[in-house]
Amino acid sequence: MLKEKYADRIAAIFAKYPDKRSAMMPLLYLAQEEYGYVTPEALGEIAALIGVDPTQVRSISGFYTMFREEPKGKYWLQVCTDLPCALRGAEQFYQELLAELDVEDGGTTADGMFTVERVMCLAACDRAPVLQNNFHYHENLDMDKMRALIRQWREEAGQPAPDAAADSADPDDSAAG
Amino acid sequence: MTENTVTLHIDGTPYQMPEGMNLVDAARIYAGIEIPIFCYHPKMEPVGMCRMCLVDIGFEARDRATGEPVLNPDGTPQVRWGRKLETGCTTRVTAGMHIRTKTQAVTKARKDILEFLLSSHPLDCPICDKGGECPLQDLTMRHGPGTSRMAFDEKKRLGKHLPLGDLIVLDCERCIQCARCIRFQAEVVGDDVLAFHERARSLQIISISDPPFDTYFGGNTADVCPVGALTTVDFRFGARPWEMENIPSISPHGPVGENIALGVRLDRDSGGVKRVKRVLPRQNEEVNEIWISDKTRFGHHFTLSPDRLQTPLLRKRGELVEASWSDAIKAAAKAVKEAGNRVGIIAGPMMTNEDLYMLRGLAGHVGSRKLGVWPPNLGDPDPVAEVGIAAGSRLTALGKGDAVLVIASDLEEEAPIWFLQAKQAADRGAHLVVANMRTTKLDRYAGHVIAYDFNEGVDVLNGLTAAAISHRWTNRSALERVNGYDELTAALKGTRQPYKEAAEAMAKARNLVVFVGDDGLDPEGHTALLRAAANFLIITGHAGQLNNGLVPVWPGANTQGAFDLGFSSENTRAMLKNPPEVLILAGAPAAADPAYAALLDRVETVISLTMFHNAAAGADAPTTAVVLPIQSFAERDGTFTSAMRRVQRFYTAHGPAGQSLPAWEAVGLIGERLGMPRPPRSSALVMQALTEEVRLYSEMTYPALARVAEQFPPIGASPDFYGGATRSAAGGTGIAWPSRAEGRGKLTVKAVRAPEGVKPGPGELVISPVRRLYDRTPEFYTATLMHGRIPEPFAAVNTADASRLGIANGDSVVVHVAGAAVHVTAVVDSYAPEGVVLLPLYLSSEPMPLVPLAGTVEKITEPVPAD
Repeated sequence: MLKEKYADRIAAIFAKYPDKRSAMMPLLYLAQEEYGYVTPEALGEIAALIGVDPTQVRSISGFYTMFREEPKGKYWLQVCTDLPCALRGAEQFYQELLAELDVEDGGTTADGMFTVERVMCLAACDRAPVLQNNFHYHENLDMDKMRALIRQWREEAGQPAPDAAADSADPDDSAAG
Repeated sequence: MTENTVTLHIDGTPYQMPEGMNLVDAARIYAGIEIPIFCYHPKMEPVGMCRMCLVDIGFEARDRATGEPVLNPDGTPQVRWGRKLETGCTTRVTAGMHIRTKTQAVTKARKDILEFLLSSHPLDCPICDKGGECPLQDLTMRHGPGTSRMAFDEKKRLGKHLPLGDLIVLDCERCIQCARCIRFQAEVVGDDVLAFHERARSLQIISISDPPFDTYFGGNTADVCPVGALTTVDFRFGARPWEMENIPSISPHGPVGENIALGVRLDRDSGGVKRVKRVLPRQNEEVNEIWISDKTRFGHHFTLSPDRLQTPLLRKRGELVEASWSDAIKAAAKAVKEAGNRVGIIAGPMMTNEDLYMLRGLAGHVGSRKLGVWPPNLGDPDPVAEVGIAAGSRLTALGKGDAVLVIASDLEEEAPIWFLQAKQAADRGAHLVVANMRTTKLDRYAGHVIAYDFNEGVDVLNGLTAAAISHRWTNRSALERVNGYDELTAALKGTRQPYKEAAEAMAKARNLVVFVGDDGLDPEGHTALLRAAANFLIITGHAGQLNNGLVPVWPGANTQGAFDLGFSSENTRAMLKNPPEVLILAGAPAAADPAYAALLDRVETVISLTMFHNAAAGADAPTTAVVLPIQSFAERDGTFTSAMRRVQRFYTAHGPAGQSLPAWEAVGLIGERLGMPRPPRSSALVMQALTEEVRLYSEMTYPALARVAEQFPPIGASPDFYGGATRSAAGGTGIAWPSRAEGRGKLTVKAVRAPEGVKPGPGELVISPVRRLYDRTPEFYTATLMHGRIPEPFAAVNTADASRLGIANGDSVVVHVAGAAVHVTAVVDSYAPEGVVLLPLYLSSEPMPLVPLAGTVEKITEPVPAD
């Protein structure tokens, strides 16, 4: 339960706002941090903390793309493919990223490491292709930079790439290797 | 809104209208010009979401240097038009404003908005319940494009047939995202259990409250929905709107007297007879505005339930067997004749004024004055006749500077529409004071919540009155017509005044309405509380004026009518001490209280007039000799008098169940056998006779009751005026009889004290009955669609009491009170006050007393399985 485990943080969040309801988004972040995504139970917990119906909490978590209501990978990669970013190659970059990680649009890799999805404007059009990894920005990307980042994150997580051929941009090669 | 009248030009024509009104209302009401809308609703704040009401807005130009109006060559003021169209619903009328509603830009905007809305609409009108009364359909015909440029395959596919709770079904594809339903729940009701999820084309309405869509008012969302996105489980696929006749009627549930229309149609599934397909609200701004509770909307199934008694029953050789009307009437008349003035009558909450008039005529004929009302726990209603809320008052008028007191009542459970109205009065700035021995939902909106101990409601009111007297918050001119003021002052000397702020807010309020219930009260306590409330109203000058006065939260649809015709709860109680020889139970479930169940055995003969032949109506009593099937409110016409003393007429919607008759006619037939004149041939003629005999009702003839007061805003007037299913007030808006305070005579205040009350012995608790909206009376339980919402029988026990008794939440317990044993589940929380067990009425089929009494609660221990 968030209430017991994070009593101090929750108190600090509430202290920032004149109205309890305003604390809904920080509490959703907290729940997402704790449970990996906004679980149905978390909606109830937050509703009880604020004193509103859980429906209102779900409405907020459903509106904003930075809250996920389904399980996600350890690294949550969000790529903007809106028009200005697409003009700088974001759409192609996104397709290549999906192929690199062998996931569907919006899907999670089989090892549970990466969830990849497209989002609307990240307010960094001039530095596209741009990607958010767990809300941290990586800008002016290409696949070389991206593969290096993926390797780095895998090492960070203590899960090195499944095989050396992962460096290849061609998924067929990787499957063959 | 200010009262300033200004000139607004619409399409070049000047109109006078109040400043500050929004353009949609102003154009419709003052100029008869339609600005089409979907999301705007006059009962909710405008939000400008649907963009359908776009108009061209301009202002008369003024020279910046001189401030003089700039004129055209022809001398007319020059208008500077805005560069873009603006939403009419969010723009308010100001002086010098011009609007255009017929320009090419406006016409094109309407067409484009409709094309946009329809681009992801399924256009399944032929199978849609809303088809035929759908604003989207109507406005598309009037303003929309004839064809679409969108390919059907590219339409967004979303969920269909999604249950939004037990009663409402959502079709996301039909939804045009106007948020009327969400806003209704949030703004009007305060149960914010609906919300949008996701965004843009994926937007959909959700409810994840527990249970989903947890509210008593959900059906209204289907009414205000301007498309077929929300449909009720009751009416879904039931009939087409144009096939139904809408019969004006009055809710038989509760004291509010909600104005409704019964949509009836010949129905193949019911064997080709006419039946109610749906219940819709009928606009009456002085009663229910345009809202009805889900109990009223869905609780109509009893009218043609197969469980209804179809024929008269007569006891032959110890058994109740089917009999002809003539035999049954003969037997009933014989019993009444033999008993003479030893006949007693107990009339139930759905008996109409016509029924009651004939019953009292019958009693009068045999010289009996034993006219009892059911339930038997009510006090003396005279304060209502003296200072009841003034005729013609409307709760919608209450706002800033006004006050509302609710005492000894859980309004949400007992009179849901008044809950809405009290809540909204508080939203508009009225000072709401809620005083109860337990928490209620209305507490959320209160400026002051007064939590008193069991039986201390009278002390609370006396304290408020004492504070008003000692601080001179009394009204000098009002005191000039008061008798007994000095005695009251003397009697209240030294009374504790713990709620001074609440007293000041109420006493100084411009208007004050006081709702008095009977929660936790015995008849003496109820009498005292009504009187104490009247005292406060009188000395603070809140009696006899519009939008002021006392509203009793009576239990039944026609409890007030019964009082008006000389029936009383006191007479009912007197029968326990002095049982009549023949007891006529007229729609009174008397055997639901063990004391009265015993009374049935102590009289010689029971004659039961009933819709349902069940234990509560005396089916199990060996003394029950004659049972007469009577008609429900839908099968006949008649009148109910609401607790605001408004006499309201309802009309025959469909044919009778079996051989049932209106109760007045059955009683008339008995009377005729006893030598009384032939009974009148119609209820209109019964009412005619009643008006001649009962002074309070002298104006209440059927033609007078059928008169329609103008409704503002005219939401029900035209189906596409504001896009909703609300029906017009046709059929009559009723007449309220004035309280004595509205006349010029003297008013009397009288000191009252809380009666002794229940004194539980050692090991005992107070067992206090509680009224819940959803119960298991046959008049409601026959609506099977509501079963999921009716709680299992329970008793609320305070945490401290429970731990003393070793009872945990969810335990099976038996409540012993007055010889009754009621088996329920314990709900342990702080809801019940310490020392008091709250036992909801009519949830269990086991008899239980209707007044608070001392009793015990005992845990039922599971038998230990032998191994």
